[in-house]
Amino acid sequence: MNLKKLMFLSLLISSGLILSIIENMIPIPIPIPGVKLGLANVVFLLTLVLFGFKEAMIVVIIRGLTMSLATGNVSAVIYSLPSSMISTVVMAIVYKYFSKYFSLIGVSLFGAVAFNTVQVGIASLIMQNVKIFSYLPIMILTSVFTGCFIGLTAKEAKNKIKISLENI
Amino acid sequence: MTKWDKYLIVLILVMSISSMFYIKNMVTGQGDKYISVEVNGREYKKITFDNDKTIKYLDIKTKYGYNKLEIQNGKVRVVEASCPDQLDVKQGFIKNVGEVIVCLPNRMVVEIKSEKNLEDNIDAGSY
Repeated sequence: MNLKKLMFLSLLISSGLILSIIENMIPIPIPIPGVKLGLANVVFLLTLVLFGFKEAMIVVIIRGLTMSLATGNVSAVIYSLPSSMISTVVMAIVYKYFSKYFSLIGVSLFGAVAFNTVQVGIASLIMQNVKIFSYLPIMILTSVFTGCFIGLTAKEAKNKIKISLENI
Repeated sequence: MTKWDKYLIVLILVMSISSMFYIKNMVTGQGDKYISVEVNGREYKKITFDNDKTIKYLDIKTKYGYNKLEIQNGKVRVVEASCPDQLDVKQGFIKNVGEVIVCLPNRMVVEIKSEKNLEDNIDAGSY
């Protein structure tokens, strides 16, 4: 891993952190726990596209661990870290094998669905209550909109970052 | 956005909305409803509905009188009562959350209540 890549990955991790912290300040109009914009997924998707699967996993894991240090909310890691790891795996598979069918919006949608499913699964494991799965449809419904937004953002940012990546 | 993206969006929307309706029916249908029988202001018995369609009877004998409940398939009624006016028997079945059968002479209240779900208590910050 050369210095340029190392520097860029750490920049991506820190921007993922900052995006989540800023996102937490935005009030959500829907009173459902777990529904959020997930701006950090822009960073995961960008890392996946610009560098690859291994680097994306590094960014996901380090960002998840530092997020708990930054916010002091350790229990959130139990929910978010496995969810974002599996969602990154799904996004990597879709991006690698199906990118001729799906644009980044589709990749991001697959990731969002995987993220929500795993998150609800973990919640029902922790709460020992299967009824939590009744949240899943509404969470996936909102994730269609956030997933589209994140896919669009990543698509726009990808070209601009690629240019600056080559110019460093 | 490719055409496959659009197919995916439509597929997810259709699946989530239809399963939302399905779950809503499931939850309000049976699930967390239960019958609460109160005698003289205190809870005498709590009965949860189960899914089988057999008819069950419950005798409530207290020092205030005698009532017999019939429970079937998500609804409940009083079939026999020792009270003089028999108003509770005439009322028939109740099945929705919040409906009550009151037998004043026997000081008995049968009410259908809904269990507050555990998931309502999840702290939003823990996600």
